[in-house]
Amino acid sequence: MAMTDVKTKPVEDLGHKVDDAISVGEDLDFQERWWKFENIVWSIFAVLLVMDFLGVFGRGVLAKAQASTPDGALLVKYERIERTLTPSVMRIYFQPNAAQGGTYKLYVSSSVVQELGNQRIAPEPQISAVGDGGYVYTFPALGQPASVSLSLEPASPGIYHFTLRVPGGQSLERTIVVVP
Amino acid sequence: MASVIRAIFGYLFLILMVRVVGRRPGKQITPFEFILIFFLGGLTLTGMVGDEVSLSSAFCQIIAVACCHYAIVWLRTKSSRVARLLDGTPLLLLEQGQYRERTMQQMRVQNADLMAMARDQGMKTIEEIGTAVLERNGEISLIAKEK
Repeated sequence: MAMTDVKTKPVEDLGHKVDDAISVGEDLDFQERWWKFENIVWSIFAVLLVMDFLGVFGRGVLAKAQASTPDGALLVKYERIERTLTPSVMRIYFQPNAAQGGTYKLYVSSSVVQELGNQRIAPEPQISAVGDGGYVYTFPALGQPASVSLSLEPASPGIYHFTLRVPGGQSLERTIVVVP
Repeated sequence: MASVIRAIFGYLFLILMVRVVGRRPGKQITPFEFILIFFLGGLTLTGMVGDEVSLSSAFCQIIAVACCHYAIVWLRTKSSRVARLLDGTPLLLLEQGQYRERTMQQMRVQNADLMAMARDQGMKTIEEIGTAVLERNGEISLIAKEK
């Protein structure tokens, strides 16, 4: 009967022996380096947590921002750092000089709908128009204060620019960073 | 594709976390470690799944993690460096009647842990222990002093 060749190799000792009785295989030099690495990792974890509390990764003090159009017609409060697939609200306040014939009109660039994932506008605009690389929403104006909210939910990470203005007025351009 | 990358990243990140959190002595995991495992697993899952809850996505993610695991285990058997990185090395905690204080402190092992293991092996006093080794799997091996 044919026998299968069984490959063998000599038994090797792992190294460090204790009391000539046990081979442990301890590597203290490596372990010292690992402990140093662990300390660095814990420090990085601590820094990341502090950054998160502050809002560097969104949802914190540093993430919140507000800006006005140069003509002062719009004031926008938004989050300059957003998280992917996480809802947030961009609130736009119409100033008295924004009213045009009993209506407030708002131009938003298409990036607000496409990249930043605008899900809903509250209140709903009376008229929505498309063109000029964006959308123009018209709301009936009753008086001051007046604001609309855009519910955003970005679908993917990236750096996105958006533009807001009252049609015929000066534009506000800002950037939102969407983290994974 | 993105879900597969997320799954691989989640798997590798969990390996790093578990490795850094460190070995705890004992044969069984404590309730604290149960909480840690469930929490880490659950939190990683939310990021891995995202909005892709389809069966095909889950299927591909499972295959990706399995392949990643296989590759790491294969690397570990081929390279002693990788094995050392992933599992660490056994560490002496007690030798010739002397505690290795730095090792015990860094590995968060207490005298009580050694004594518990000693009792488990039928030893009555700490003096009966000749050598104590924290193994790569977190167990403590004790060898009695020669009489």
